[in-house]
Amino acid sequence: MSAMLKVSGLGVSYGGLHALADVSLDVGDGEFVTIVGPNGAGKTTLLKAISGAVRVGSGHIEFRGRDVGALSPARRAALGIAHVPEGRRVFPSLTVLDNLELGSYRAAARSRRAESLEAVLALFPVLGSRAKQLAGSLSGGEQQMLALGRGLMAQPDLLLLDEPSQGLGPRIVEHIFETIAEIRRRRRLTILLVEQRVVEALELADRGYVLETGRVVLAGGRDALLADRKVQNVYLGGESR
Amino acid sequence: MIVADLVQYVVTGLLVGGVYALMSIGLALIFGVMRVVNFAQGDFMMLGMYLTYWLAIGYGVDPLLGALLTIPPFFVLGLVVHRLLLVHVTGRGDPQREMDAQLILTLGLSLIITNAVTMLLSPEPRGIKTAYATQAFVVGPILVNQARSYAFAMALLLAVVVYVFLTRTDLGKALRAAADDPEAAGYQAIDVRTMHGVAFGIGIALVAAAGGLLATYYPIEPTVAVNFIVLMFVAVVLGGLGSIPGAFIGGIVIGLVQSLTLLVLPFQLQNVGVFVAFLLVLYLRPQGLFGQRVRTV
Ligand SMILES: Nc1ncnc2c1ncn2[C@@H]1O[C@H](COP(=O)(O)OP(=O)(O)OP(=O)(O)O)[C@@H](O)[C@H]1O
Ligand SMILES: [Mg+2]
Repeated sequence: MSAMLKVSGLGVSYGGLHALADVSLDVGDGEFVTIVGPNGAGKTTLLKAISGAVRVGSGHIEFRGRDVGALSPARRAALGIAHVPEGRRVFPSLTVLDNLELGSYRAAARSRRAESLEAVLALFPVLGSRAKQLAGSLSGGEQQMLALGRGLMAQPDLLLLDEPSQGLGPRIVEHIFETIAEIRRRRRLTILLVEQRVVEALELADRGYVLETGRVVLAGGRDALLADRKVQNVYLGGESR
Repeated sequence: MIVADLVQYVVTGLLVGGVYALMSIGLALIFGVMRVVNFAQGDFMMLGMYLTYWLAIGYGVDPLLGALLTIPPFFVLGLVVHRLLLVHVTGRGDPQREMDAQLILTLGLSLIITNAVTMLLSPEPRGIKTAYATQAFVVGPILVNQARSYAFAMALLLAVVVYVFLTRTDLGKALRAAADDPEAAGYQAIDVRTMHGVAFGIGIALVAAAGGLLATYYPIEPTVAVNFIVLMFVAVVLGGLGSIPGAFIGGIVIGLVQSLTLLVLPFQLQNVGVFVAFLLVLYLRPQGLFGQRVRTV
């Protein structure tokens, strides 16, 4: 499997504070990889480093064999990396439809806007019925769907998802995870998912990494990680049902 | 009699307010997208007046058309000023320190432009003579100055064009997205730095065009900015910082208040009413007349 994304020796610090140290990981073409870990582990920082929103101190980021470490976030997005950020970050003063359309702002996606829109609205019908509403007026769950839909509108090669379950009720969370699974089934989109909900995330994914205080402490296939004693003790103990 | 007076002042206020509105949306767009308070906005207006004057005197271009013709060169000038200067003080790091740098930069720019124009051209006021400047439409007992009417119509037209651009085009929506959330805009392949340049270009092109329209009835001199920059700021704050429709309404309100003040105060004090209204609004509605709590374009 050729590598879609290859991160090596990544280090990021915020004003002297190390958020990531020597992180290496790769995501193959068509693979679904998840990164799990506790609060403050550096998961968001890792995704932001990949999409270019934080400055990287050391290491390399290769996307489709190309070193993208020096490119602006917009350039990376133009190449096909779609980042669905933590906290949804929809454009509140724009309508739902405008938000979706901006998802396909990149040149490669713009020509396919109509078909992307149709697919996204089929996935999230509620967005269609709210098309003319301001995104800021949506509920948290709807905003998450919008953020996801906006990411899909880019027809990305790599989809980065940062805690899509955050702050949502259990039914919506289930719906979101189901939809991610469905997106995955429909087209073999390459996905890198960051989650604190370890079980759900691992069950969806092919492989996973466990990140703790800025370092990868464990990596492996889904079943191996789910069966891992440390993972079970630390992450699954409290929330297994 | 008194009613006719009142209507006369309201109409006059509305007409000049339209031009203030156009100036103010330029300022609001720059603030909304870049978070930069452009203290040189009035000076770009002044430059727009001179360009319109020069086109009129040198080439016989009607100032109403001349005002439109200022738009392309000022848009380009805005891109250049952003690329050479503003880019160094926006979106780089500590917002507090950046704000200081921005203030010094735009204030400095304002001083340089005013003084350069004073030195290169004469400080004497100039005017563009047009047939319509001294004529009025007579509507019953009310006289409506033609120059102001045309300037108002053009300002309104440009404001509508801006509105359609911001709400209907990809680039316009991208500008608003960059104003809403620059980081998330970057994730959609919207280059925030480019958006800053475009916003600054459009922002000063609009104020230059407003200057050109103003020049049909207002004397042109190097220091003319001081009479308007404060009005623009008040309009933008009234409208809710950074809101384009708010700035538009804010501009109209300023024109009305300024004009109606003349009913009770002499000409030299016409801005007293503006400030009183401003303080009242800030006291009663600190987010501005039309602002939501958050600032949006
Ligand atoms: N902008 C910032 N400035 C300074 N420190 C930061 C900044 N962003 C994150 N940090 C710190 O970097 C570390 C990693 O943060 P990050 O947000 O990447 O963790 P996370 O794994 O995404 O956590 P969570 O699960 O809560 O989202 C934390 O200690 C955090 O406090
Ligand atoms: Mg996070």
